[in-house]
Amino acid sequence: MSEHEFHPLVKQLLDGDITLADLPAELRAEGQEALQLLAGVERTSVSMPAVTWRVMTALERRRRRFRPWLLAPALAAAAALVLWLRPASPPPSPSASLVTVRFVLVAPEARQVSLAGTFNQWNPQATPLIRAGNVWTATLTLPAGQHQYAFVVDGARWVPDPGAPAVDDGFGRRNSVLTL
Amino acid sequence: MIALLAVPLTVLSMQQGADSAIAQRLAGRVPPQIASLVGELGTAAATRGLPVDPLIQKAIEGSAKGVPSERVAAALRLVATHLDSAAAALRDGGLPADTLAIAAGEFAITAGLSRNDITALARTGANAAALTVGLRVAGTLAALGVPPAEDIGLVSVELRAGEPASTLLLLPAEVQAEMAKGATAAQAAAGLARAAAAQARRGPPPGRGQGQPPPPHPPHPPPPPHP
Repeated sequence: MSEHEFHPLVKQLLDGDITLADLPAELRAEGQEALQLLAGVERTSVSMPAVTWRVMTALERRRRRFRPWLLAPALAAAAALVLWLRPASPPPSPSASLVTVRFVLVAPEARQVSLAGTFNQWNPQATPLIRAGNVWTATLTLPAGQHQYAFVVDGARWVPDPGAPAVDDGFGRRNSVLTL
Repeated sequence: MIALLAVPLTVLSMQQGADSAIAQRLAGRVPPQIASLVGELGTAAATRGLPVDPLIQKAIEGSAKGVPSERVAAALRLVATHLDSAAAALRDGGLPADTLAIAAGEFAITAGLSRNDITALARTGANAAALTVGLRVAGTLAALGVPPAEDIGLVSVELRAGEPASTLLLLPAEVQAEMAKGATAAQAAAGLARAAAAQARRGPPPGRGQGQPPPPHPPHPPPPPHP
């Protein structure tokens, strides 16, 4: 796995504040890489505009500006991108609704990555991730609630999601936590 | 006489039912000695009104990860202890037995919160469903490194304000966003708690509480194609 922090100007590019042409020549390759990484992660069947609108609306209620480049470290390190498909009204019971979640792991040297957690009976074969370059992704629809999970790299190595909170698994390792 | 016999027979029947359900879920997934221990701990938990699922999940997880049986057994006993603590904490806070809330409390304890923290959240007066979400969020904030005082302070303010689950569930992402800007986890949570308390004093924003969501804005336009 690789850690990657983008240059502040590249973050502005990801924000849409500037274009690729505005970047100094020495940063254009990094800018292109960042855009390609973002575009690669967004290639799924999820209806992104509607989902993005829901996330933005929820965040704007708190008067905080959502900065897309905040996702960049998560994209570079690994992250679960949570996309809300919950009906706005009436509020469902905590266990009734479904939420679509995209799991992302950057693991350039992995030959195989899968996802195991409370949602698939911790079965390392049940949920393989799909490779797009160095990025591995899986999009799942999960029941609202609290889930614990880990990535399984090459069928043997249990890796917590560096972009998500984690708790002790009771066996000397860490489980990532997803609260929906 | 028949009534006197019926009560223990009913309890015995419930225990056998719980044991059988646990055995079915674990069949072929865990070693026999672990299945037996989960049956024993789970049956005892069920008769005390505690959820059994966290025990089953922990057993399956340990087996999937290839953990030695004695270590899985120790983890299972710890889960059972945490379930008892969570149930007692909720009772102290005035909440009647609710298996979802107890499981959420068990997670919160695993994440680093104490029995007193759980009682404090239960005393906010939130109903069982809201408290369940609050406990899950509080546990997630603890897993992010938010200290218990700031964690319980933030979630309590939101629960007392009657915020919907969707707002509570945004708190971890909001704390992470503040941390990305350089705040510590404690500072981020404290700042959000102050903002939420100020909001609660001002009253609900326009449109809140009228039973209708705000009208939707047009979705964001798709980004231009990348060169």
